[in-house]
Formats: sequence, C-alpha cells, structure tokens
Amino acid sequence: MTGPEIPERAPATQPEQSVRSALAALWQRFKGPLGEQVSVLEAAAMSCLSGELGAAQREQARSEAHKLLGSLGTFGMPEGSDIARSIETWFEFPGSVPSTEPAAVLALSDAVVALRRCLEAGPAPGVVTAWAPLAGDAPFLLLVDDDVVLAEGLRQEASARRLGLCVVTTVGEARQILANRRPEALLLEVPAGSGAEEAFKLMRELHAATPPVPVVVLTRAARFTDRVEAARLGGRGFLQKPIQPRDALDCVAAILDRARSGETILVVDDDPAVLAALGAIVETGGRRVVALREPLRFWETLAETSPDLVVLDVEMPDVNGVELCQVVRADPRWERLPVLFLTARVDAGTVQSIFAAGADDYVAKPVLGPELATRISNRLERSRLLRRLAEVDSLTGLANRRTAEESLGRLLGMAKLSGQPVAVAMVEPDRVEAIDDERGYQAGDEALGRLGQLLLRFFLGDDVAGRWGGAELCVGMHGMTRGDGVQRLAEVLEELRRHRFPDGRGGTLGASFSAGVAQYPDDGNDLRSLCHVASRALGRAREAGGDRILPATRSTHHPERATADVVLAEDDEALAGILLHALTTRGYRTRWFDDGQDAATALQGPDPEISSRAVLLDWGLPGLDGLRVLRRLAETGVLAHTRVIMLTARDSESEVLQALDLGAFDHVAKPFSVPVLIKRLHRALES
Amino acid sequence: MECRLGQPLGSGGDRATGAHTLTEQGAFVVTRCVLVVDDDQQIRELAAASLGLVGGWEVLSAGSGAEGVALAASRQPDAILLDSMMPGMDGRATLATLRAGPATGHIPVVMLTAEAGPGGAAFVPDLPVAAVIAKPFEIMGLADRVAAALGWDR
Repeated sequence: MTGPEIPERAPATQPEQSVRSALAALWQRFKGPLGEQVSVLEAAAMSCLSGELGAAQREQARSEAHKLLGSLGTFGMPEGSDIARSIETWFEFPGSVPSTEPAAVLALSDAVVALRRCLEAGPAPGVVTAWAPLAGDAPFLLLVDDDVVLAEGLRQEASARRLGLCVVTTVGEARQILANRRPEALLLEVPAGSGAEEAFKLMRELHAATPPVPVVVLTRAARFTDRVEAARLGGRGFLQKPIQPRDALDCVAAILDRARSGETILVVDDDPAVLAALGAIVETGGRRVVALREPLRFWETLAETSPDLVVLDVEMPDVNGVELCQVVRADPRWERLPVLFLTARVDAGTVQSIFAAGADDYVAKPVLGPELATRISNRLERSRLLRRLAEVDSLTGLANRRTAEESLGRLLGMAKLSGQPVAVAMVEPDRVEAIDDERGYQAGDEALGRLGQLLLRFFLGDDVAGRWGGAELCVGMHGMTRGDGVQRLAEVLEELRRHRFPDGRGGTLGASFSAGVAQYPDDGNDLRSLCHVASRALGRAREAGGDRILPATRSTHHPERATADVVLAEDDEALAGILLHALTTRGYRTRWFDDGQDAATALQGPDPEISSRAVLLDWGLPGLDGLRVLRRLAETGVLAHTRVIMLTARDSESEVLQALDLGAFDHVAKPFSVPVLIKRLHRALES
Repeated sequence: MECRLGQPLGSGGDRATGAHTLTEQGAFVVTRCVLVVDDDQQIRELAAASLGLVGGWEVLSAGSGAEGVALAASRQPDAILLDSMMPGMDGRATLATLRAGPATGHIPVVMLTAEAGPGGAAFVPDLPVAAVIAKPFEIMGLADRVAAALGWDR
C-alpha cells in the first residue's frame, strides 16, 4: 500500500482529527457495502470466464467499478481506485478487449482478486485511525454506535467538557477497548429485535464487573420492548434517538454523579499548588475532588456539587474561611456538613476560632498526604453513619419518605429532560392487618422488612424504593412504561412467593403483595398525582384478591360485554394453572377454556361473549383443534382486534407457517419457559 | 436527503441570511452552505464529512440530479458539488437544468468526476462550472480545493 497521506504521529489539528474520526467510522460502516460491490465484480468475472457475460451484468459491473474508483481512494486506498479504474475500462469498452480472449479474461480476474485483497487489507494505517488517542488514564466515555453524525457531535460536546470519548462501531471492538481500559460509562446502541442479543451479552458482562461499568442504552425504537431486559442487566438510562449530543451528555453526567461510589469533597483554597496536591492525595477510591480557587463562588459551587465534606483554607483573599464556616453552620441545609480546615497557624487562638465556628477538624500546613487522607476518611465515616440514620427507614432498609420523595423528584426531573417515561408504583404486603392481628406486630413488621430487602435487591441504580408510610412502599423506575413496571414487580412477587418467613410462633408464613403502577407523564406530571393514580390501582389489586400488580388504567368499560386481556385455550390443566397464575400476577384479566369449540364460540361473531386483546391458543385442543379455532377467528374478523399466539408442541415448520398465514401473530413451541411466553405476549400487546 | 454533519451545534439555519454561528470569541459569522449531488451514498457522506468538518460549512446532500435541483432551488446553497455520472439525469443534464432555472442559475457548480484522470479537466471542456475535481478526492483537501475554486476565504 502507498504511504499514509496523514502522518500517524503528527499533531492533528482539530478539524483534521474530526475528519479522521469520521472517516474511521464511515469506513466501519461502508466496508460491508464496499465488499458487496466487489462481489458484483467477482460474479461478472466468473461469467466472463464461462463466456456468459450479458449486457445487463456488464453494465452493472461497470457501474460498481466506477463507484469503487470514486470512493476507495478517498477512504485511503488509492491503489484500490487504480485497480477499479482498470476494471471499469475493461467493462466499458468490450469491443476493444475481446472478452473471449483467455489472457484478457485472466487479467480481469487477477484485477478483481487484487481489488478484494486491497479491500481486506483496509486503508493505510494513519489514514483511518481510532478516535482521539486518549491520554494515559484520563476519564473517558465509550460509545458503541455506527452513527457518524451523533459520534462527531458527542465528541465535540465531550471535548468541551474535558471528557475523552472513544468511539467504536461494534460490540467486538468495544470488548477490545474494555479489556485494557475502564470507561466512566458506556453509551451502547441497542438495536430493536434480535440484534439486541449481542449488546445484552456485553451488558451482562459489564454488570458483573466490579465495580460495574454504568451503561446508558441508546435506541432508535420509539417503543423499546427490551427496556425491562436492559434494566435487569444494569442499564442506567435510556436515550431515544434522535438526541442532541448536549442532552445525551447531560444525562450521562447525571448518572455518573449518582453512580460515583465515593463522596464528593469540595476544597477551597486560593493557592493552585495546594489544590493540585490535595487533589492527588484525596482523589482515591472513587472520591471526587472539586477544587475551587475563587472563594466568592463558594455558595453556588456548594449548591451545585452538594459535597460530602468541605476543606477550607483559613486565610483567603476577599473571604475569611472561619466566617464562611460560621455561615455554613447557620444554614439548616448544611449544618451537618463536615468541615475541615487547613491552616498554616496552629496557635491556640486560631485553633479555638476554628472550632468555635463549628469546624469538625483541622490539619496544619504543609499538608502531609496520609494524615489528611485519614482525617478526611474519619469525618466521612461519621457523617455517613449520621446520614444513614437520617435517610434510611430502619425497618425496611429503604429510603424514608422524605429521602424517597427527593429522589423521585430528581428522577422525574431527569425524565423530563430526556423525554423518557418513569413508572411509579405503590406497593403493599397483602393481609398486613390480618397478620398483625393474628400473629402480632412483629410478624407484620417481619413481612414488611423482607419485602423491603427484596425491593432493594431488585431496584438498583436510578431506581428509587422507599417506605411511604405504614405498610405502604413506593418504587420509581427510570425509563419504564406502566407495562414494564408491572413486569418488573411481577418478578419481585414471584421471588417473594418462593420464600416462607418465620411467623414469630415457631411456624412459617408465606407472603405476597399487591401493587399499582402509574406512568409519568401519561398518568400525571408530578409525584403527588402519580402516587395518587398508583394508589388507586393498588386499591383495585387488593379488591381483586391481592397477590397481583395492576397498571393504572383510564378505564373505558363496556359493561355489556365481558372483556379479558388474555384468553387461554389450553386443555392441560396443570399448564393452564401455571400460566393463569403468572398472568394474574401481572394484572391481566384472563379467561380460560379447555375446549376449542367453546373458545371459538365465545370469541367469534359480531357480538361475542368475550372480547379479548390476546389469545393463547393450544394446537391440540379437544372439540376443535387450534388451527381450526384460528381459522374461525380469522373468518369472523376477530383477528382485527385480537392477537393470537399459537402454543405448539410440534416444531413442524409447515404448520407454523400455516398458522402465521392464517393471521396468528406469533407462535411459541412447547415446552416453553413461562417468562419467555410472557415476554412474547407483552410484545404482542404492546405492538 | 439532508446531512448536517459538522454543522456547529445550536446554530439556527436560516438560509436567506446564512446560518449564524456564535464563535468562541462571541462573534457571529455566516456559515456557508454547500450542496453535494451524487448517487453514491459513500461519496455523499465522505464529502459531507470533509466539507463539514474541515470547511466548517453546512452540507446538504441529494442522491439524484432531480433531487439536487429541487434542493438547490429551495435551500439556495452557496455552491453545488455535482457528480458527472449518475443514472437518470446525469451531471451534464443536471447542470443544464440548474443553469436554466431562475432560482438556481447563479449558484456556482463544482463538477466531481471519476472520468477525468488527475488533472484531466479537459474531459469536460466547455461546461459552465467553476472547477472540476477528480474522484477519488483527498478527504483533507476537498474543502480547500472548493474554496480556492470559488475564491472563498478559508
């Protein structure tokens, strides 16, 4: 290959770097299509060899050669353009090169082989390079997406925020980077449908890493049915394209702020050398240091960063550190904030004034690394304990009402920015009063405590779980629709049912809960109204017998006709029992038939006995088999408003095709796993 | 089809007055707008990357001659990069239509061609174009060549 046109190590100017980045991404996107263009030439050369090249194929080959000649050089493969030009000439003037002459045909096939080789070797190094070389261990984001425009926008925005951005186009390339470096966060494009699997596999790996790498999911799909899966795999946020780079990074920054395991420390000192030294000493173990040189900006920085500890210099221009500390202590928001002083003077008067102002500790200048780190750790430890007491409900381990309200408010604010939904659920254990009455408060508390622990385990990251009051708990789920929220809580309920708890009298007790789920912004714009709507759905779940989760509905009831969400036609009673339980848990109204004739009669006709959104239809039913039922439903127009999923024991392709041809929405082969069937049903009802 | 690669963030685009971009120094500058007409998507995106990122211009793109003429009339770009060989309305026919149109006749055109070898502008001798640029073009240099041909400051 000819030498690179852009020296690899030359300091790249800003636009040059951008172009190289864009070119790298374009190359990733187009190397497949370029390969297909060469395939056309290969096929044409084969036809030449066998003497079968027709006019249409010749013209197509000429056209592809022409395009390759025009683009390969720009991609950094001038040799490729030269070869393509010779091939174009060959196809363009067939008369001048007798295509039957063996030497000429061989020359053509040689040229095509050379072109393929050239393409496989790729552009000269340096022409197409990875994104901005990242300095040592600077923090960076990893973007996995082939969207060049978004990538460039993010790169500019990230660089303005002094964040590195590394861009790759495939999950495989992302793994290579991740093997060596740990990004602050991963922005991962997850395609809808089956393409999502590979992305999910990566998320699973990252979720298992310690500490987990926060992942923000980018998706083009307006309705992303895999949200639940992504959340389970530790997805911290969802961004729907098209999205402005600025909004995307705002969202990432917010997530990073909260994901940071360590604390934020605000250091105020007018001496930049001190700030730099402190940063190096203190910024370990995930702690973040915010260095502030201008004490006049103290208040705004305090509000912006909500630090866990403040380090103040005693003597600064314009502002006196001791006075600053006094004002901090007078503000109820900050009265518990640990304050640590740095001072060059340790005479009795100075030390006394420091403590009188409400400081927690002081460290004499010059600062010694280990001493300062230890003192900061001690202060943070104590304040963590105090804060835990103030923010966490001791019975359930969940956030208390005040803290949960704050967190939920933040969640809604973030959702407003990103245009994402939030599911808000009210949750209550079943039969709390009965348990309290029969077995004493202790058993009721035990049930509530266990539920709290389970919720803590299932709702991480951006999700919020808190004790609302009495036995009522509240859960906020970021980026989730009503249906997603029902699904996730159903998983918690199914887990809870697996356990029995001591009842305080030597026996054990099963537990269950009921929940109602509302969705922001559809069911309300503020926390109050969302909780109200969710509570009403919770009430309905309890009235229906509890042990289930119901979505909030703006109910349009047809009292003259029985409606069901799902009709199950299945003659295996045991399987039907399992399915109906799983469906009821998720708030679906169900009807069950064990006979095909009965099911068809109830569903068909202009004025059916039952109107249902979905039918799970067994293949081998008594009375009328599944395929006949399906045909009956198709003929009577029921399929226009009802989605049918066939349950088939046979994996016969022709039968499946027959069912799909008749208008079945989907099919699931027996034996199937219930979660898989539920997921398919969810998709059928959502689409 | 429209590609805004490289267009500075947040710059509102009113073509009648030119897109205004707030520079770091706080001054308003008028960004130029170039239309790329080529049936090959790869070429359109390569050109958009080059003109957008190196030139700092707004880049529009069209996948056929007819689309290019329509876009040129409605968006009034400052210049048009036109591929010579396209199916249907080829470069020559597109150029003739542009020249004849009252809304497009004044817009300078730079021809992109893979037929002319390097320096082979003689291949399209009598066409009313500002310049002929051979394909494949060098991605870092395309914007400079267009600017030079049109007498634009870069």
